[in-house]
Amino acid sequence: MGKNRNYREAGDSVILYPENYINDIEGEKLEDMCDIFLARGFKKIIIDFSETDLINSIGVSIMIGIIEKIKDKKGLILFSGLKKVNHDIFSIVGLTKHIPVFSTEKEALDVVSCEDRLPM
Amino acid sequence: MNMDLSLERLLFNLNTLAELGEEITSPKDFNKVVKSSLYMVMGSFSASKGLIFQFDQDGRCFHPIASKGLGDINGVGIKISPEAVKELIKNNKPIDLKSNEHPVPLLGAARGEFEKLGSRIVAGLIVKDELLGLIAVGDKFTGEDYSVYDLQLLSVMAQHISFSLHSHSLLMKLMHKFTENKGLYDNLRRIYYDTIHAFAAAIDAKDAYTRGHSHRVSAYSAVLAREMGWDKDAMEGIRIAGLLHDIGKIAVDKTIINKASPLTTMECRELNSHPVVGYEILSKIKFPWKGIPMMTRNHHEKVDGSGYPDRLKRQEIPMGARIMALTDAFDAMTTDRPYRPRLSFREAIGEIKDNFGKQFDPEAVGPFINVIRKEVLGEVDSPTIVPLLQEQLDSITIHRMLDGFPEAII
Repeated sequence: MGKNRNYREAGDSVILYPENYINDIEGEKLEDMCDIFLARGFKKIIIDFSETDLINSIGVSIMIGIIEKIKDKKGLILFSGLKKVNHDIFSIVGLTKHIPVFSTEKEALDVVSCEDRLPM
Repeated sequence: MNMDLSLERLLFNLNTLAELGEEITSPKDFNKVVKSSLYMVMGSFSASKGLIFQFDQDGRCFHPIASKGLGDINGVGIKISPEAVKELIKNNKPIDLKSNEHPVPLLGAARGEFEKLGSRIVAGLIVKDELLGLIAVGDKFTGEDYSVYDLQLLSVMAQHISFSLHSHSLLMKLMHKFTENKGLYDNLRRIYYDTIHAFAAAIDAKDAYTRGHSHRVSAYSAVLAREMGWDKDAMEGIRIAGLLHDIGKIAVDKTIINKASPLTTMECRELNSHPVVGYEILSKIKFPWKGIPMMTRNHHEKVDGSGYPDRLKRQEIPMGARIMALTDAFDAMTTDRPYRPRLSFREAIGEIKDNFGKQFDPEAVGPFINVIRKEVLGEVDSPTIVPLLQEQLDSITIHRMLDGFPEAII
């Protein structure tokens, strides 16, 4: 995981920091981590991609797996720090229409602390 | 969708196809390849559910080999009719299960099974008119419908995955044949060894005193060969030669072999004929190891040229025969014989020392002493020679036995 840390808890939210690359099935570690936090009762999950250089179709599939699990728990998922190349990929596959995307982790955190400001 | 995004989508899909090609030709574990391939397909269409099935030709049943978004699906099997198999092969393009177009109705009950697993589009994995499996993807996460372009892309991806399944299927068939042949080979090998052991037992049975002699010479020779750096195959050869080295004694009168008193010239000639008789018997056999007949013929040669039958000198004698000349004599000395009781270990080593460079080859004597020393000092995991001797050895005896040997050989 990036920044030598996997996650950061912030109140009732958790921020996950994925690897530099989410391009093979090793990326499922991120999905496993989500499972752990969902099991612990966290329902607001921010995935910060500021350290992620590449996401491919496998990464997209893993992201959809994560999104589905969070939706099943009636939780909230937000993306932040997406580089342009990754933002484009998420746009191509339609994820950006369904998941709120923020420039920074702080912006995403500000929004989850005030849920009614969410655009969805 | 604007033009830029279309171009980007095209690039994204091309990139995915390139990665899929790389994945299916990678040397990774087959299950990982299939799983990655499925994820690539699902990621391309933003599908939240997907499966890859392998088709069991005999049972006409699809079994999942990779899945995502479906939880535990172990034990799932979807049967289809022979007609549906034919039509899937003939159609050979992705099928939308929501439509009622041909050949969807032919899937019969299987259609409902696929739908229960969240499948929306299925594509046969077909190579050379053979149905190897099927890929099924669920609805798009985004709620959008599948376009004609999507189905074309899925068709290409399915072809890629088909090749992977085909290669795996060929590999499995080869592995099956290999396992079958290996089983047959192992059986033959066991019969071969059993036969050689039976021969060795028949040879030793002629002489009550030499019971186990062939086995000991075989074991000692193999250990000595290993100490001398022989490879595994050559070691196996000398192990077999050790078992058979006295096979020529089958032609020698039993009373001569067991005679306690000195032999007459005729008797001695008959007994001494056994290496040549053995050579004649063994040279007619095509052994998988080299040199067995010659090791048998020359195991009574001496390095000074005074042995028999060919009176060869040191380098003229095959190394295997020089090894066996030593281990054969060592075992003869350390076991009881009709004409004398056994010598002690120290006495036997004394004889080797006295005949060093005359009867016995220094190239073999050095490693032989070395391996016995290692066994006594517990430096080897499974000792071979020392446990077969009829006396206990200790480090002091070993130290003493080295006295008198040239330093260079030890």
